[in-house]
Amino acid sequence: MSTETRQFGDLATQLIMESRRSTQTDTLLKYNDSLVRLLIREQRDLERAAEALEAGMDELQGPPPALLIIQTAVSRNKRCLLAYHSHRIDRLRDLYWDVGGALPHILNNQGFRSKFSPHEVDYLRQYNSSLMEFRSEFSHELDITASITNPPKDLHVLVHVVKDCGVIQTELGSINFQKGQRFMVRRADIEHLIIQGYLEEVS
Amino acid sequence: MASASASASARARPASAAPILDTRQDDESPISQLTRHWINERHAPDILPAQEDLLASLLDHIRRQSDAVQLLRGEPSASEEEHIRIMLVQMEVERVKFIVRSYVRTRLFKIEKFARFIMTDATIQTRITTAERAHASRHAHLTDRHFHTSVLQSLPETQSHLDDTPIFMPPMITKPDDSRAVFVHALRDCPPIRFHEDLTLEMKRGHISLMPFSFIEQLLVRGDVELL
Repeated sequence: MSTETRQFGDLATQLIMESRRSTQTDTLLKYNDSLVRLLIREQRDLERAAEALEAGMDELQGPPPALLIIQTAVSRNKRCLLAYHSHRIDRLRDLYWDVGGALPHILNNQGFRSKFSPHEVDYLRQYNSSLMEFRSEFSHELDITASITNPPKDLHVLVHVVKDCGVIQTELGSINFQKGQRFMVRRADIEHLIIQGYLEEVS
Repeated sequence: MASASASASARARPASAAPILDTRQDDESPISQLTRHWINERHAPDILPAQEDLLASLLDHIRRQSDAVQLLRGEPSASEEEHIRIMLVQMEVERVKFIVRSYVRTRLFKIEKFARFIMTDATIQTRITTAERAHASRHAHLTDRHFHTSVLQSLPETQSHLDDTPIFMPPMITKPDDSRAVFVHALRDCPPIRFHEDLTLEMKRGHISLMPFSFIEQLLVRGDVELL
């Protein structure tokens, strides 16, 4: 048992606080592996305590009150663990949609990558492939992963190249976007590059 | 779609003049139908019936318009006025695509949120398309697997299930909340809605009211009301 005094459910509360902070600051925090492990260990300890109580249970008196407390703690902890993970995958999906479904863009970004657990990287990959399958149901005329935050106002847009992004197929043929150049291009052709930070709109 | 786009499409294919606009119902054009479904979908807590035919015909229309635009752009003899018209059509196509995209994504968001529930409930499955159902199934599996590998497999056997129902706790499967209040606008005179024994409401055309979604779900599906 640990040396510091701790109440039932303290760890789980900490975990939930992380989710809340993440929501309030609208950022994805680093996956708290050690806290999750601690909680899982607590669950095992609680399970053993419950088994010990059950073994010594007196048939006539019914279950001891302590067992009830332990079981409540077990289901609360479990719920908090799942809530934490569920909150995180919601945020991962938000992140994925924010960059218009460009998975490599997220996974190659060290800032993001260091915050994911290995399982979360797997999750993103599988989510991506599931979504690609769904997307293929639509004709190539319509890319459902494109932005839906602002309705289009202009057909064309003047962009400034912030990062080299190689040759891109556009309505005017293929253009080699190199840093520092400016182009007048059709918005639909390059919108994903604006979202990923390769191009910037010149207003 | 705007009249400019209709005339351009007629211009491109004189044989089949304004093909889509003829199939309108209730003198409502496909695009305004879609706009209505899109707004309804965004406000409804539950997933509404899929509009597969409408969506397919619009996508078809978009494709034909884009082809026509491609063709006309290459026309050397096109006048200044025609070029402006082409631009308007292109713009309109982009705007329609935006609505279609937003509509599809709104549904997708709900489908992912309720994925586990969808897999256990037969009625909700009748309201979604095959592709949406497949995605829901994949998504439910994916989420389960993620929970399993990150948490459940490390817990003792008695705790490692996703479907426990401890007392005093909300269920683990997220369900659509039908009791959420929505603003409804009656498009025509509606049959009376019964809230309970002696409280009913008859909405006349143009009436706007705030009430739980479950009471107007049927009216919404029939197209008697729209959400605001």
